[in-house]
Amino acid sequence: MNAPNRHELFVLEDNENALEVTEDTKIPNAATFKIVKQDHTVGNMLRAQLLAMPSILFAGYKVPHPLHPYFLLKIQTDGTTTPQAVFEAACTRLIGTLGGLETKFKREFSFKDATAGDAHAHPVGGMGMGMGEDAYGGGGGAAWAGGRDYLDF
Amino acid sequence: MQTTRDDLEPAVRIRDLKRDRVNFVLENVDLAFANSLRRVMMADLPTIAIDLVEIQANTTVLPDEFIAHRLGMIPLVSSNCDEGMRYNRDCTCMAACRYCSVQLRLDVACHNNETMDITSNHLEVYEGVDYEDVGEGEAGDEPTKRGEYFGHPVGKNDPDVAPVLICKIRKGQELKLRCIAKKGIAKEHAKWSPCSAVSFEYDPHNKLRHTTHWFETDERAEWPLGDNASEEEKPRDDEPFDFNAQPNKFYFEVETDGSLGPQEVVMQGLAELQSKLAKLVIALKKTEPGMLPGERADEAAPADAWGGAGSGWGGGESGGSGANVSGSGWGNTSPNRGAATGGWGTGGGWTSPQQTGAAGWSV
Repeated sequence: MNAPNRHELFVLEDNENALEVTEDTKIPNAATFKIVKQDHTVGNMLRAQLLAMPSILFAGYKVPHPLHPYFLLKIQTDGTTTPQAVFEAACTRLIGTLGGLETKFKREFSFKDATAGDAHAHPVGGMGMGMGEDAYGGGGGAAWAGGRDYLDF
Repeated sequence: MQTTRDDLEPAVRIRDLKRDRVNFVLENVDLAFANSLRRVMMADLPTIAIDLVEIQANTTVLPDEFIAHRLGMIPLVSSNCDEGMRYNRDCTCMAACRYCSVQLRLDVACHNNETMDITSNHLEVYEGVDYEDVGEGEAGDEPTKRGEYFGHPVGKNDPDVAPVLICKIRKGQELKLRCIAKKGIAKEHAKWSPCSAVSFEYDPHNKLRHTTHWFETDERAEWPLGDNASEEEKPRDDEPFDFNAQPNKFYFEVETDGSLGPQEVVMQGLAELQSKLAKLVIALKKTEPGMLPGERADEAAPADAWGGAGSGWGGGESGGSGANVSGSGWGNTSPNRGAATGGWGTGGGWTSPQQTGAAGWSV
């Protein structure tokens, strides 16, 4: 009856900012980012990306309450750069990785489309040729294809 | 430079592609990244589903709300729903119009002595205009972007696919109703999820000990290995535990309910993650006027974070010491942060092909 609309969990309200930065008053080069209407999907990915960056001393996130649709991301840098700049760099880098992955998926999908007709005759044929970067791909792929029992459409 | 996952390009290999599912292996990404992809495919992709039902006649054994719920769960063809439709809440129409909804109708009565099945094949997409359309939303080109059979129940146009049973009726009973299907995402209601299941596995031999296998006498015998185990080397019996190891290879199987194809689910999932991150960058720039392009020459930040490979980021090897500020409620700092000082600016920064992908985002 008085339940809030469920889309309030993921849609920004009018004039609501997606992000709020609070610089830490006691710790140098530290800031807390309040990211609104986002959850673990973005939070955990950003946290992991930040930790992989060399100028980071600390990065962690929490969702303070499961019913409140925001998370807090704390970042402390070593002083060579600001938390805001690292945050931006982490986002950019993730977007780059995702973009690269997108092209790879596109290539893989088009390859699979082309061989869809032969898929039943040579189930192993397509496996090894995928990316050629997989150490166990050859043998493993064969065992996989042999033991699989998919519903046939 | 030590070899970390950052030096390796993420790789993907599709092992199997069927009409409603794709099985792929994702490598050289971290656990959080792979998990975000899984989460976004399950919960953040728009599809359409029946959201409002107006029951005109119901003499079946099932009550109205029971039938309305069953109708909501029926997958509807939603190809290119992202662009082909508006959210009802964003539309300027009075209630629902052709830009933000699809109307389906069902009118079935049984006149035979045998029990009759009412299935999703009886649902007909209604293209006409009726009283609710008087307040139509602002004109747009959305309907032209829709795929074939947009809004039709999945499998309606394919004799090989069994329809979804809605209700069974006997002689003299009838069901007549009108449904409004709307665009939504699974965070609002699970009926909008394009995936019926996403399986996600890593470390099939449990080398990383992220889980504990309970066993009676013999762990190996009581926990048979799955298919993915053949992709990775078996651990030797005397192998010491590597506490620095990170999961690196992820096995996905994305199974859709037919509303979106498996390829569309994966590609849109990646696109959705990018747009989420891009929106954050834009929001960050709004909070700091100094970060806007053109004004940032005097910033300590890199001169051009969008395009510049390895710009700024002085002292690339710094920052490794005293990394573990843990404690309080902040979970999940990496235990081996101190060792993870990868290149980042020393070896010419990160590779350019990835960067080109990000170049399109602007404020």
